[in-house]
Amino acid sequence: MQLDEERLREVLRKPAPLGLDIDLQEFKQAPEQRVEYYEDLAQASLEVGVDLDKRSKLTTFLQVDHEAIYKAVQKQFEKDIELMTLEEALEKYEWLREYVWRLRSPYEDKYSAFNALHGKGGYFLRIREGRRIHLPIQTCFLTYSPEIVQNVHNVIMVEPDAEAYIITGCTAHKKAPKGLHIGVTEIYVKRSAKLNYTMIHKWGPSFHVRPRTGILLEDGAELVYNYITLGSVASFQSQPSARLAGEGATLSMNNVVYLERSSDMDLWGEAFIEGSGGRVELITNAVVADRAKLTNRGRIVCDADNGKGHISCRGLMLSDEAEVSAIPCLVSRRMDSELTHEAAIGRISEEQLFYLMARGISREEAESLIVRGFLDTSPMKLPEHLEKGVRRIIDLAVKGF
Amino acid sequence: MLRIENLHVEVGGKLLLREVNLEVGEGEVHVLFGPNGSGKSSLAMAVIGHPSYKLVEGRIFFKGVDITEKPVHERVKLGIGVVFQNPPRIYGVKLKDLLNKLAGERELGDGVLKLIDSLNISEDLLSRSVNVGFSGGEVKRCEIAQALATNPDFLILDEPDSGVDLENLELIGRELSRALRGKSALVITHHGHILRYLKPSRAHVMIRGTIICSGEPDRIFERIVSDGYRWCEKCSLMRRG
Ligand SMILES: Nc1ncnc2c1ncn2[C@@H]1O[C@H](COP(=O)(O)OP(=O)(O)OP(=O)(O)O)[C@@H](O)[C@H]1O
Ligand SMILES: [Mg+2]
Repeated sequence: MQLDEERLREVLRKPAPLGLDIDLQEFKQAPEQRVEYYEDLAQASLEVGVDLDKRSKLTTFLQVDHEAIYKAVQKQFEKDIELMTLEEALEKYEWLREYVWRLRSPYEDKYSAFNALHGKGGYFLRIREGRRIHLPIQTCFLTYSPEIVQNVHNVIMVEPDAEAYIITGCTAHKKAPKGLHIGVTEIYVKRSAKLNYTMIHKWGPSFHVRPRTGILLEDGAELVYNYITLGSVASFQSQPSARLAGEGATLSMNNVVYLERSSDMDLWGEAFIEGSGGRVELITNAVVADRAKLTNRGRIVCDADNGKGHISCRGLMLSDEAEVSAIPCLVSRRMDSELTHEAAIGRISEEQLFYLMARGISREEAESLIVRGFLDTSPMKLPEHLEKGVRRIIDLAVKGF
Repeated sequence: MLRIENLHVEVGGKLLLREVNLEVGEGEVHVLFGPNGSGKSSLAMAVIGHPSYKLVEGRIFFKGVDITEKPVHERVKLGIGVVFQNPPRIYGVKLKDLLNKLAGERELGDGVLKLIDSLNISEDLLSRSVNVGFSGGEVKRCEIAQALATNPDFLILDEPDSGVDLENLELIGRELSRALRGKSALVITHHGHILRYLKPSRAHVMIRGTIICSGEPDRIFERIVSDGYRWCEKCSLMRRG
């Protein structure tokens, strides 16, 4: 896609319509020095589910600040997977230009425009037709230098009948408490392909995050899109948007959120059912503590026969100073579609507490069980070893309970 | 073992139980009958210590200890267990994890595996959130497994048999009779079937929040089956008159 620089610069000058309007001038465009592989990077990545010690065994991509410092495809899958930086891929494949900025508009807001103008890094990941990759592919974006903008663009392409698991972790090293992460990700799941995409975020109280994700599902494509965020973040605003263009496509979007301190998160999920028999589930389970604020918007638009959609938001409040808003929106233009939503926000249920205590469990332990249970990962359909890792990360994050 | 003296209980300002007196000795199984809404479950809740069921009068003793003021988990630690009639759903807490936790605290070890096996609880059920989408019979078996996993000395069974099919009824009956050997229980039921396994020594009838009659279980049950609770109502009128 040809970008109109003039127009981008114009968008860049306008305040962001959603979430805190960040002054991009506050952040450095580039890190002062290039970062090598350090041992403590491995520790930071592990906290977002990426095991760098296994990098020689699993397909792995690691970007620190602006540069991909490690990328390799697992030997046995060399003919099945392609993994390179997006810059490399665009040089190699002329046709790829068609797929960049197709599922997300660069003119959407100042962050997208900023990414289109100054983006640096990100990957192109392609699972070739018919290949089933049952070992996780891990990608990690880490910010190491303080006060920079990490500004990446990824394109994922799962070709017809292919299958893959991707786990992607994004985090800021403790040396970089303040920073901004902008991540544009375009995900193409082609005919009858299956993808399980799990993203784990862990930031810090002074970090700002603006992911922009676009998704296209073809006939019979299946995507399980999981997002887990733990701890605190200065501000977060994201609106992953999916088109179910093919017939019988399914999307399950699961958010597990644990927010603390003064975090401010505006989390959307949006799906357009355009092919008949499309199915969508947007599920958010959130535990909100301290003075944290969560706005969870969900929107399903159905323009096809037999479309089915469901939005669910459950919020557990651990403090009187916290705030949770659930804003579901359903739009149907087909008589035989079925769109539903449910939302429930409240404190820990006294009935549940009593029930567990009636089994001899103390109040504190019962609370802990309920909070951990609330951050349920079972709809995420993770393979067993990933599920274990993810549970461990969540347990660690809610250690106070 | 359990002694209830002149118990008056209210919920939200409404008096549900009045003048309840009941004593279940060590090693004894008693059964409590009564029409819907007469207060049987409320009595179970008051004994285990649900905070909404407020004692306005009376005392409860367990193993000689006055538990009237004790919080729920302390009553459980003393050895009381309950199979609830309508347990809540607990999202995200897997049945397997909960059972293991309960068994771990009582050092039941692989006893929990035997329980799971003899109560016919499937792998699928174990991996699901407690009571979420469970069928009526599954809820009962899961309740019994949980209560037994805490290895109580005194078990309150609030309709452990309602909604359970014949095959599972036999399963539950056998398991409960084994678990209750040498222990005490108060069984709330509307059916005679489970009693064949539990062999209670005494029965009580509750009408409008109070126990109006106690006696030999078979005789009382037969009378309820043939004449209904109207017979008991008359009885209660006579007693009060
Ligand atoms: N938490 C509560 N809040 C309000 N009313 C209650 C509560 N618990 C019980 N009640 C009322 O008290 C009465 C007795 O209820 P309870 O559940 O004890 O009856 P039960 O004898 O167990 O009946 P069933 O045979 O139907 O189980 C009923 O009218 C019920 O609606
Ligand atoms: Mg009852």
